Formats: sequence, C-alpha cells, structure tokens
Amino acid sequence: MCGISGAVGLNDISQELYEGIRNLEYRGYDSCGVALVNSKGLVLKRNIGGVEEFYRKENVLRQKSRIGIAHTRWATHGKVTRENTHPLASNDGAFAVVHNGIISNYRFLREKLSREGFRFKSETDTEVIPHFLEYFYKKSKNVEAALAKTVEALEGTFALAFITSHQPDQIYCAKRESPLMLGISDEIKYLGSDFNAFIDHTKNAIIIEDGEYAVISRDSYTVKDLATGDEIDKPIQKIEWDSESSKKGGYPHYMLKEIHEQPQTVNNALDIQSSLTDGMVDLIAESDQAYLVGVGTTYYVAQFGQYMISNLAEEFLPAISADEFVALAKVDKRSMALALSQSGETYDTLTALKYAKSKGAKTGAIVNVMGSSISRFVDKFIHQGSGPEICVISTKAALSQMVLLTVIGLKLALRKKLIGKKEFQKRINELKELPEIIHAVLNERSGFIHRIAHQYYKVKHWLYLGRGVYYPIALESALKMKEVAYVHAEGMPAGFLKHGTLAMIDQDIYSIVFIPPRTDKELYQATLHSVEEIRARSGFVLGIHFDERGKNKDLFSEELILPPVSPLIAPLLQLVIAQLFAYFTATSLKRDVDKPRSLAKSVTVG
Amino acid sequence: MKAVILAAGKGTNLAPFSTTRPLPMMRVAGKYLFDSILSQLKNSGVNDVFVVVGHQKEKLIQRVNESANNGLNLQYVEQARSSGIGNALMQVKSKISPGEYFLLIYGDTVAASNIFSKIQQSFHFFKCGVASICLPPANSMFGNVFLNAQMSITKIVEKPKGDEMGNYVLSGVYILPYTFFDLLKKNKLSMEKAIQEMVETDGLRASMWEDEWLDIVHPWEILSANRILMDSWEESSISKSAVLESNVTISGTVRIESDVVIKAGAVLEGPCSIGSGCYIGNNSLIRSYTSLGNHCSVGYGVEMKNCVVLDHTDIGRLSFIGDSVLGERVDIGSGVMTVNRNVDWKPVRVKNNKGALDTGRLKLGAFIGDNVAIGAGNTIQPGTVVAPGKIIPARYSITGK
Repeated sequence: MCGISGAVGLNDISQELYEGIRNLEYRGYDSCGVALVNSKGLVLKRNIGGVEEFYRKENVLRQKSRIGIAHTRWATHGKVTRENTHPLASNDGAFAVVHNGIISNYRFLREKLSREGFRFKSETDTEVIPHFLEYFYKKSKNVEAALAKTVEALEGTFALAFITSHQPDQIYCAKRESPLMLGISDEIKYLGSDFNAFIDHTKNAIIIEDGEYAVISRDSYTVKDLATGDEIDKPIQKIEWDSESSKKGGYPHYMLKEIHEQPQTVNNALDIQSSLTDGMVDLIAESDQAYLVGVGTTYYVAQFGQYMISNLAEEFLPAISADEFVALAKVDKRSMALALSQSGETYDTLTALKYAKSKGAKTGAIVNVMGSSISRFVDKFIHQGSGPEICVISTKAALSQMVLLTVIGLKLALRKKLIGKKEFQKRINELKELPEIIHAVLNERSGFIHRIAHQYYKVKHWLYLGRGVYYPIALESALKMKEVAYVHAEGMPAGFLKHGTLAMIDQDIYSIVFIPPRTDKELYQATLHSVEEIRARSGFVLGIHFDERGKNKDLFSEELILPPVSPLIAPLLQLVIAQLFAYFTATSLKRDVDKPRSLAKSVTVG
Repeated sequence: MKAVILAAGKGTNLAPFSTTRPLPMMRVAGKYLFDSILSQLKNSGVNDVFVVVGHQKEKLIQRVNESANNGLNLQYVEQARSSGIGNALMQVKSKISPGEYFLLIYGDTVAASNIFSKIQQSFHFFKCGVASICLPPANSMFGNVFLNAQMSITKIVEKPKGDEMGNYVLSGVYILPYTFFDLLKKNKLSMEKAIQEMVETDGLRASMWEDEWLDIVHPWEILSANRILMDSWEESSISKSAVLESNVTISGTVRIESDVVIKAGAVLEGPCSIGSGCYIGNNSLIRSYTSLGNHCSVGYGVEMKNCVVLDHTDIGRLSFIGDSVLGERVDIGSGVMTVNRNVDWKPVRVKNNKGALDTGRLKLGAFIGDNVAIGAGNTIQPGTVVAPGKIIPARYSITGK
C-alpha cells in the first residue's frame, strides 16, 4: 500500500506536489521521496519517515521544479531504508519511477536484468521497472514504446509513474489494478493514487483504467491503450466536492462550528487576566456616567450588560446603539463609554468612541480582534480571545462578551461592597459551570431543537419574548433568526404584549418565550402569565424553560427543556439554544448560513 | 479510496419485501437503492467498490455483474452465514491493505445528497477515522454520540431507552483504518464494541450530515425513502420512446422511462416515476410520490398516491392504491381499495408476525409481498401486511349459487 502523486505545470509545482503527497499519507507512510527536474537533469530526494518530516529534513521545498513525482511508501518488499525508498532510478539516471502495487515476478526479472549487466541498489520489486525502461529505451529511442515493452514484462499489480531526462516536460503513468487518476486544471496537470492528491486544486478527474497509460504535460494529456497504443477518449469526471467544506473540520457550516466552540470561548473569557477587567471596573466606577455602546448584535450585548450590571451592581449604565450615540449621549470628561465590537473595526462604534473622546470622556472596549482600530483607539481594552469568527453571524464572540460584562458587573458589586468576597467567588464559580453545561446541552438537546426547527421552519412571524435580563436575550435571539434565516422575528419585553401587541396574536403568529428558572420567583411567575395571555388567544408558544417535563402541562405548544442551572447563567444558556434554533431553521430553509445576504463581517461604512 | 457496502443482512423487519430480496434491491423513486449508492459513490470520486452479499445474494450478484462496467471497479464478496455486521465486514479484510483507510457503508441507509463526498471532505481534513453523524427523527434505535468542539467522539450510547436524548447519531457511513479489523477481532466481531474501543483508543472524528437521511428498518420507511429521493430531483425527464396520448396532464417533476404508454385523460402529478414499459390506462390519476417499477399496468380510472410499486405488477381498473408498497408481479383485481386511514384518525398500526407496530402515521395503506394476487372488490385494512405468494379471492355481493 503506497500513494503516488505527480504534477507538471508552467511554473514551480513543488508546493502542489508536497500537498498532494501529504494528502495521500493516509495510504500508509514509513518513507517518502520525490523526483524533480532541474537544469542539470533529474534530482532525487528520499528518506525514511513521514512526509512532513522528510520535507523538513531534506529541505525539499527549496528545490524548484515545473515537474515532479512523489511517493509515500508502506513497505511490502524490502525493509524500510533510504535505499528502498521510491523514486527508484535507472542505472544511467535517465528514469525515475514511483510505484504502488506488487510486481509478482520480480525475482525472475531481477535475474534477467542482472545478466544484462544492470546493478540493483535496492531490495524492492519496483527497481526492475526503471532498469527495463532504460533497457528498452536504448533499443527503440522511444519512451512510450519502452513503457509498453516494460509493462508487458511485468506480472502483478501496479500504478506507476515516471519522469525521464529524455522527455523532461512529461510525466508518464500506467495502471493495472492499483488505483490511478489524473487531475486536470488549466495551470497544472496532476496524477495521484486518488483525488486527495489534487482535490484542493481541481475537481476535474480522469480515471485511468486497467491496461491504460497516460502522458501528461503542462498543457495537455493523452490516455492510450497499453497493448495497442491507440488513443482513448476519456471523459472528465467532476468530483462532487466542496473544498471550503473540508476546512470546516466535519461541521457543515462555520456558524455551527462556532456555536460548538462556545464552551471553549467562555472558558477563554473567564481566564482573562484579572487586572484587565479590574481596569475596566475602575474606569466605570471613577466616572459619573458610563455608557455601554454597540451596534447590531453588540447593541444587544450592551443591553444585556445594562440589565446584568443593574441587577448585580445596582448601577445604571445605559446601553446605546452606536449609530445613535452622538444624538443621545451626553458625554463630558466625567463620563466613560465602554464599547463592544467583534472585529474592532465597526464604523458606527468607532465614530461614537471618537465623539466621546472629543468631549474628554474616557473610553474602553471589549474586542475580539487584536490590533484592530478600536483596540488601538481606546484608553483601556480587553481582548476577549474567542478566536477567529468566520461566520458572518456572531455567536461565540457575542456570548463571550456577555460573560465578560457579567464578570464586570460582579466586580463592580464587590467594589461597592454589595456582595462579599465569598459571595463573589460563589457567583464566579457559577459562571465557570457554564462551559460544561453548554457542552452537555449541545450534545443532548441538538436533536430536539432540530426537530422543532424543522417542523416550524415555514412559520413567517415569530415573537421573541422575555422579561428582565431575558429581554435582551430575546432581542439577540430574534436578530439571529432575522440575520440567518431571513424570517421575521421580533424581540419584545413580555410585559409589553398587553399594551397593544396582543391584538396581533392568532394562529399565524408564533411566540418563543424565555422562561427564567423557578428560583427567580417573581420573574418566573410574570413570564408564565404572559404565556397564558398568548395561549388564551390560541397563539402558539414555544417555551424554553428549566422545569421538569410535564410541570407546565398544556401551557406550551412546544417546549425545550434545559437542565436546572443558576439564574446567573440561565439566560446565557438560553441564548445558545436560540442560536441553534435559528441555525436549524436556516438550514431547513436552505439559506447560505455562513454568508447571509445583506450582511458583512464587519460593517466599516457609515 | 476503496468502498465497502454491507448488503448481506436479512432485514427481518422489512417483511414482506425483505423475504424475497436484499434491501438494496428495492426499487425506490424509480431506481434500485443499490444503484443510488453506486452513483453517489462514483460522483464522490470512489472507484473500487466491494459489496458484501448474503441474504438473497443472487439478485444482488446479478446486479453487481450488470453494473460492473459503469466506470466502477465493482466486486462482490460472500458472507456465508448471516451473523452480524462485524462478520460481514471481516469478509473484505483481504481486499484492504495494511495502512489503508476505506469507506464503509451500511446498505440500508438513504441520503438525499452525496453523503460520501461529505465524509471524504471531513477525512481530507482530519486524516484519521471518521464517522458520519446526523440528527434522526428518533434516537432510540441508534448509537448516540457525544462530541467535543473538535468533533472528536468522546462517548457513544447505544440504543438509549426513553426520549431524553437528542444527540447526533451514527448514520452508518464511516472511513476506517485497516487496523479496525484487529479491533473487530479483539471484540469478537461486535461492531458496536469495536467502534467503542476505537473511540477510547485511536479516536474517531465525526462528520455532520445535515441533509435528509434515513435508515430503512420498517416497510413504511420505504415510502419515506421514496419521498427523500424524489424531493432531491431537480428536473423532469420523459423518454423519447414514451407515448403520451391526447389530454394527458403532467405537473411537477416526473420521470417517464422508455416505451411507456399513457392513455388519454390520465393526470400525473409529480414528483412521480413511471418505469419502462408501463401502461397507464385512461383517466387514471397518478398523484405525487408514486413510483411505478418497470412493466406495470395500471387500468382505467385508477387513483394512486404516495406508493412504491415494483416491477411487473398490474392494478385493475377503478382501484385506489395509496400510502402503500406493492412487490413484484402483484396482481390487483379491479375495484380494490387500500384504505389508508382509520375512521377515527388514530395513527395506523402495522400488523406483522411480531405483532402490531406503532407507525405514528395518520395515513398508511397496505404492504403487499411479491406474487400476491388480490381478487376484485377487496378493501384492505390500513397497515395490512400480505405475505409473498398469497392469493386472496374476489369479494362478490351477488353470486350465481
């Protein structure tokens, strides 16, 4: 079992050849080698070890070449030594061969060639091939004829490829039973044991069948019959392949990948140097008036912070949408603005910060991208360390920012002596449980969320309802639905319903209600009351709650039940559920999840 | 990459259809399931395929021989006794080389699009063992996986009781290393245990499948498979040798094969598939999700909806066939009715030799095995299974006696 690959192009192909053979390593590796052509002729490099190790040791990538073949070996005949490693050369050095398969009559052929004066330098079955090529070429002065004669002498199985100084612009390859494919792109022609050798560059494959050989050069390829030499017209097969998809590491979309990365990003947020959050707390505490600033998702993060900090630290930090900041905020040198941005490049947020600074206010920011404009502009900045967020829709970055604002709220409460150190540590420990719970919920609840999303994906109007800190969760959840699924979703405080909106409720308006844990007594009761108002008007309610199954019998039309958690992390857990709900609705609607329409990763225009 | 299709199982729960054929030889949405797998494999760049055959192997061997030249290197391997998946897989050990990875496919699963491409893409990234996973309608029949964010499977819970789990499940498509054969041997050929051990030792990564997916276990799931495959159609095709008489109405996506005759006044509502040589009588109504095999005859004024009918089956005039599966060479007399719901709209239960099974479906007709003859005028209770070869006499209200 071995892998072979080859490439020939207009310019240097050494990188493509390297990637190709590395992608064939799964076919077995104990040694590895390449043959290239430079101005002096054929160059062979080979050694024992895996592909990366070999390339590093031998400094192979320094060799530039427009043509090359490579081999990764899993020894069948002959020990794992440098001498036995492919490519194997003919005695005159004019042919270099890589081979996958087993030549069953090689002992006989070896003797025969030895009698003709050929010296064998390896113990492999393969080495008879370059010698035969040399032998027959001397007679016919024709490479293709020598190939046909050589193959005629071979018994057993092979997929072989060789380059020769007689025709230094062409790669020759032939097949009997072992697999062989060509990859055809405009710039470079490839060959490989399978498409893994070239799929990152082209999906156009030609499958070489038994008894066929092919000659490829930088701008053409021909496939011929080994026995007759007749040209065969081979169709190009388009391999169904999404190169981008293979980078997502088993996930269908970056959005889902990033949702699943949240346990890690929350941990990263909680591991951030204490002095950084302390610095931000100082900035807030020392100002007369602090504002939370964000736009889009981060505005809802700011709203979440506004509730959290008010609940925990009895401090009112108005959340202001960055695009409205100039119109609304009254800033002077006694105030501060804390901005939230994933990219750190958001135009509206930067404008708000510039305005604040121009009035002498202090500025701070929580940003995911190090070295971004906002991170360089503000007085104090926290790098949230969530890792690159590739999906245009923010999930993990937003959740981490919410966690950081909660930590800031707790520290502010500690500083104001509203809670003691013990209570503070208890709350921090509750936050530390969040990653593990998110992890468990993603594993054990994905199917339920998917089922409900798939059942109701045709719903045209959703109301997202929550009270207190669950209201910004409702807002952010509704935004996810709008952004990724293009479905109308409206976030609203649940108490708002009876002031008009109830009039809309009928069987076409669906509601999602974020129910707090029962330990949060008043909020819990008030929220359930809103559910009843909707149900009384035969509206549909999907309840996301923490009660045991059957506890609220008949109250909900559908329910998503979460494991009991502390009220501090309950809204954050519900947000994860809502992210998944929006995601599965979008996939049911066949939306372009990672690149939804009308949205860019960082909005840098005003 | 080499692929191995496991198609030796008996599929006992799929009676009456599995009694007379291996499941991959069911013709669903106008195509053998086996052929659907092969064409997806080919499009995913695989060209060496080994099929493990056992139960009713002759039909599959014949199909392997017929398909061998479609650009695939196709071979079959026989499993002498039906003794589990692990044993079936062991039969191909000699076809795989040490150090090699191979694609393993359970032959009783259906996916709407190319699941084999998807798993190879994941493999291209991970370069180690990969299992395809998906979210099924119910979790209790499958291996439920626990994942970490890097898509490593950390734990598998097989066939959990109750309905507390909403996990991703193993979907019967894997890319495994040669060393997996050692694990199988070590675990006494138990596939479940060998996979468990792989999770605990070398590790197994997951590749999420989000399109439709189905494991065909019960006969009514043949109808689901039919629906999944027909929903993936993007265009209609009508063979140039098909004859459509005047006033034939066609809507939606339809596939009409060679030498079909459709008589005047027939209405076809796609998606539906009409196999080669079929005859559709005057004023028939062929509604969506109907799949007719080759050489079937549908009499005057017949109504059909959501049903799979295999080759050489005749349906007499003025019959109704709905939400049903009919085998090969079934002879349905005139005026036969497959009643497809209970009068109280309670979900239909299917009665087979193991007792009555809940299907959860409000509409379901009958499951009629190969070579059954049903006399004129019969009405068939919802969820009835008729064993192959059975002859049901006609129902008369007036006789000459």
